[in-house]
Amino acid sequence: MDWHLLGLSFITVFLSELGDKSQLATIALGGSSRSPRAVFLGTATALLLASVLGVLAGQGAAQLLPTRLVKTIAALGFAVLSLRLLWPKPNSALEFDQGNQGNMPAVDDRKQ
Amino acid sequence: MPVSVPLIPVESAPLAELATANQDLELPVAIPVAISQIATPQGDRYPLVLQVFCSSFVTIFLAELGDKTQVTTLLMSAESQSPWVVFAGAGSALVLTSLLGVLLGQWLSTRLAPRTLEVAAGLSLLLVSVLLVWDIIQS
Repeated sequence: MDWHLLGLSFITVFLSELGDKSQLATIALGGSSRSPRAVFLGTATALLLASVLGVLAGQGAAQLLPTRLVKTIAALGFAVLSLRLLWPKPNSALEFDQGNQGNMPAVDDRKQ
Repeated sequence: MPVSVPLIPVESAPLAELATANQDLELPVAIPVAISQIATPQGDRYPLVLQVFCSSFVTIFLAELGDKTQVTTLLMSAESQSPWVVFAGAGSALVLTSLLGVLLGQWLSTRLAPRTLEVAAGLSLLLVSVLLVWDIIQS
């Protein structure tokens, strides 16, 4: 085990990711969601998968990705999530709507 | 995946009891219970946990593809002879930053009023969206 390389990659990625847009998104999703555990699992899995793809691409096993298209879709996704939060519908069944109308028990795994 | 069915029969149990049973379970087990909640009188509800997982996963994954962290991982694993050591380092760093993010969000949610938090979270996501568009224009 190459501990030096392990530490180097950990510190590099940790520092570049701290305060980056995906962490900002994670803070926003984790704070406004009823199931922060699902947000954590979702974001962690996504980041791990992206990093696996990075490793595979580094080994020459993957092709270049259509980055612009993919980022456009991501931007649209975040815009939709954002609009849901800013203009929640009164009887919305959406998760990112804090106003549960009382006709549905919340699946709330938040530790109080 | 081990699936444990709640002891309360789904048809006869009040939804509140199901939700209580749901809270004590770990997430992979909780999903089948959440799916049983689709059959509300409204009949239009997706399992909440699954919905949150999927929307977080898809947006973060797409945003992170081709981002600087992934490029760093790519370059480091290409340069070194042991790409999986790079993955272990990068992966643990990513899990830690997302854990810190969720914990910080949760801490904020105990400090702010729900509506304030929603607006702040909405604006943050809008900012992330704008940053992504900026990346697209720059590239």
